[in-house]
Amino acid sequence: MTPDRSLIEQLNGTWRDPPGVWGFLTTVDHKRIAARYIVTAILLMFLAGMLALDMRWQLSVPENTRMTPQLFNESFSLHGSTMLFLVSVPLMEAMAFWLVPLMLGARNMAFPRLGAFSFWLYFGGVLTLWIAHAIDVTPDLGWFEYPPLSGPAYSPGHRADIWAQMITFTEVAALAASVNVAATILKMRPPGMTLARMPVFLWAMLIASIMTIFSMPAIMLVTSMLISDRLVSTHFFSVAAGGDAVLFQHLFWFFGHPEVYLIFIPGTGFVSSIVETFSRRQLFGHSVLVLAILSIGALAFGLWVHHMFAVGLPRLGNDFYTAASMAIAVPAGLQIFCWLASIWAGRTWFPTPMLWVLGFLATFVIGGLSGLMTASAALDLQLTDTYFIVAHLHYVLVGGAMFPLFGAFCYWYPKATGRLMSELWGKVAFGLIVGGFNLGFFPMHILGLMGMPRRVYTYSPGMGWETLNQVATAGSAIAVLGGLVFVANALWSYWRGEPSGADPWGGSTLEWASASPPPAWNLAFTPVVASLTPMWNGGGALSVMDGISVGKREVLVTSVTGAGPLYRQKSAAPSVWPLLAALAVSAMFLGSIFTPWAIPIGTLPIAAALIGWFWPNRPRAKIGPLKAMP
Amino acid sequence: MRIIGVASLLTLAALAGCNNEARELGPSLPQTAPAENTDPRISAYQSNLYQVSQGGRYFSWYGCSACHSDSAPGAANLADGRWQRGHGFADVYRAIAAHQPEPAYGDVIPVEQLWQVTAYVRDLPKHYPEKRRRVSLDQKGEPQGSHWSGPQ
Repeated sequence: MTPDRSLIEQLNGTWRDPPGVWGFLTTVDHKRIAARYIVTAILLMFLAGMLALDMRWQLSVPENTRMTPQLFNESFSLHGSTMLFLVSVPLMEAMAFWLVPLMLGARNMAFPRLGAFSFWLYFGGVLTLWIAHAIDVTPDLGWFEYPPLSGPAYSPGHRADIWAQMITFTEVAALAASVNVAATILKMRPPGMTLARMPVFLWAMLIASIMTIFSMPAIMLVTSMLISDRLVSTHFFSVAAGGDAVLFQHLFWFFGHPEVYLIFIPGTGFVSSIVETFSRRQLFGHSVLVLAILSIGALAFGLWVHHMFAVGLPRLGNDFYTAASMAIAVPAGLQIFCWLASIWAGRTWFPTPMLWVLGFLATFVIGGLSGLMTASAALDLQLTDTYFIVAHLHYVLVGGAMFPLFGAFCYWYPKATGRLMSELWGKVAFGLIVGGFNLGFFPMHILGLMGMPRRVYTYSPGMGWETLNQVATAGSAIAVLGGLVFVANALWSYWRGEPSGADPWGGSTLEWASASPPPAWNLAFTPVVASLTPMWNGGGALSVMDGISVGKREVLVTSVTGAGPLYRQKSAAPSVWPLLAALAVSAMFLGSIFTPWAIPIGTLPIAAALIGWFWPNRPRAKIGPLKAMP
Repeated sequence: MRIIGVASLLTLAALAGCNNEARELGPSLPQTAPAENTDPRISAYQSNLYQVSQGGRYFSWYGCSACHSDSAPGAANLADGRWQRGHGFADVYRAIAAHQPEPAYGDVIPVEQLWQVTAYVRDLPKHYPEKRRRVSLDQKGEPQGSHWSGPQ
């Protein structure tokens, strides 16, 4: 069904943002919010990448004087905190914000204003960490800031507080985003898209969101305990007064390990989408993939102790968590074989997004194998805190999540901008990044086995570490160069790329049904889904249904398992309240670095902002729910 | 224009306010006692949180906390804001270096550490007792005075 001109004009009028700055501040369009997330996170990735390059420069020769020990500590702390909390997790949320409504054929997220609130609060966390860095109050204790080192006795000043509050910002934002994504996927699927017909991407985003909801409270709790230890002298981590310093590590890693997987699982969603489209066949083992992601999501909460083998826990605990950590290789391996089988059995072609999938498969398997090595408590006692761990974590995070993300960027770029990226420069960037990455990080395995510790700002000549460190530095420089080519290609193509049309790749899922770039209202009609690959109807047109209002913002709510239409839901219009609420919350978070009074006093403006946000602005609905379809 | 001027002044003030976080680990240590209460070297110690907290560690290492606790009576109480021998930096430094009763800590403690201890002692009245107690609990595992367990 092709929408006629008057329908499109009506939809444009209904879903339009106010013009200018006011529209920028008040928009609730999931695509604009996601684009902001992505641009912010890419800028931060560049800055944190520069920090990494600077550290590699410092380590390229023994007894280098480029950095003082303090500057080195600040650099790796800022690099790790930024990459984990401000780049990886938010980028995955941003991809969900952008893609989930499109892939569902929905007009917007379930909670449009909550999405805007998530971004503003995330942005507050970004500013907290990086403005503090600009005025030389940089956290300097690594990305996990264990007490007692981060406690009041050994971290005077506000460096540790800045870190802890940056966490609070980003975690509240991530919780809000996850609730939004989970509710959207569960309640706004198009008619016919039962749970069994849900693409793997949506499963991955749903599971990652649920994992976020379960894991993030642990870190917010533990950083709040740290802040109260520092600010009001509580004794949570004061061992001499009956507190427990190891409690911090348990709570941190109870979040920290699931966090790694909630970065990786959206990556598996990207890979599944790309493999399906480019192998020209329905994914091999759809149910296996979904169950594998589910079991990774469940197992993720049962193996955090492998980050703490060297702490000195009971022997049985170490054994149990060794077994649990190794068990994760089973679902991960099942996924790899499902993708390989799809590629093998399909009529596969290899444009840039697919190359990233191949880069991901090779690199992630290496990272997985070194993960099996570190999962063994006995071997981990040797490897912990050496460069082997640095190599391992970069192989799994960069190989397992960033490469799929770069592939996803190339894959959905035409949908977002209406233009194709240059294939030639895409391949150059791919070669430089994957080659430079492996050249930079593979030698670190060997350096670690040779005994080079992590987090050292320099080393003595004669340790035998010089050559490998220089290779690692050269590799990092090549990878950064590739990153610049990648970004330059994206920028160049934005203005000069060839027009792509709505569906340049012949994609399998519903986002390819919309125009490129998608209008504010996404799809003119509600699609009706009869298979896992609704865009591949054997050449037939997509079935659609009508009935959602075009004169006011309205979305369709469906049942959780069967996706039967339940009722039409009014969707929130642009509003400035999310921004004001985020400002009020930011003021309270920042104030609580300096005084405990910020919490009782700061709740008043938050309450005012929330009252404004939820002020009823429409009469009560006169109609009840529709009868649910069986 | 005025707004820009005010904003840049505020920014500069904010920048200046945060120097107390700096950790310059360099060779420019003081070799001598402060000449007077206005010695230009003082602010590098008194207004630096790291130097003050290092002073706190030495304060317990050298056993000062054994007598100078929060509950100590009279002159031994350093946190009550009353100073018998003057509260200027050089005054306090001199009181520690020529400590009465013996030992005169000037003979025991290296000069730079004395600067740090002085900065710490002058900083004590600014904090609540519970904060001082919380910090000392975290440092309980460190060597203390006569129970020294560190390098000899």
